[in-house]
Amino acid sequence: MKSLLNYQVSDRLPVRIWAPDHVQVRQYAEASGDFNPIHLDDDYARQAGLGGVIVHGMLTMAQMAAMLTDWIGKEGGLSKFNVRFEQMVRPGDTIKCSGSVLARAENTLVCDLEAHNHKQERVLSGLAHILIQR
Amino acid sequence: MIGKELIGKESESVVIKFIPELVRRFTEATGIPYSDQVPPTYVVTLALGGIPGIELPLPGMIHGEQKMTYLRPLYVGESLTSKRRIMDVYERTSKLGRVTFVVIKTSGYDLTGDLVFTSSSTLIAPERRVGE
Repeated sequence: MKSLLNYQVSDRLPVRIWAPDHVQVRQYAEASGDFNPIHLDDDYARQAGLGGVIVHGMLTMAQMAAMLTDWIGKEGGLSKFNVRFEQMVRPGDTIKCSGSVLARAENTLVCDLEAHNHKQERVLSGLAHILIQR
Repeated sequence: MIGKELIGKESESVVIKFIPELVRRFTEATGIPYSDQVPPTYVVTLALGGIPGIELPLPGMIHGEQKMTYLRPLYVGESLTSKRRIMDVYERTSKLGRVTFVVIKTSGYDLTGDLVFTSSSTLIAPERRVGE
């Protein structure tokens, strides 16, 4: 695996494929304490106009975090991590998290982040700053 | 009822602890590798000090945006204090109809009082239905 120091502008980050299901959403509700019924109760989510339960945005962001931490390893740390939730993610979707290097300063990599579902709709966009430890 | 009058309201300070067992559960639920460092999104789920006059998130609210800034790594086992503040409330028309956006900033401090992280969450409240 190549070192963070060797990443240059426009290089792509290792992708992460994720297939959320009801079991994981329930497990995440318990681990995070977010029991908002739009994630757990299909009837409630329909009445709220969401067309059925949706996955926690923070669980989708956590997949992006997993992609980044797997990639960064012990070579650095996140200093900034921003995301926008653009489309709802639902149990049964297949999500591909990806990213690329947007800019590079001495010790910092600025990365563009995106996640798409199996219908090729973008569900998340974002930005991360990674501080490289030397 | 959410309105402009909530802008500037602040929670009390709450203590947040990164308890190894709970962090491990969080990493298992998300697939983030467990290490001595707190997973990047974990603080958002803990920093839930109540803000007088409003209970957040309201049922049915969805998450629009989340921004995190880390001034240093956060370690499993340490304790922080955090405070939440309502930065903005505004209405927009979206694909969900007339909705209200609430922007909440969370600041986390270590025990020496240094700022160690900030978070900005944009939450979206659905249109109020008749009878509510």
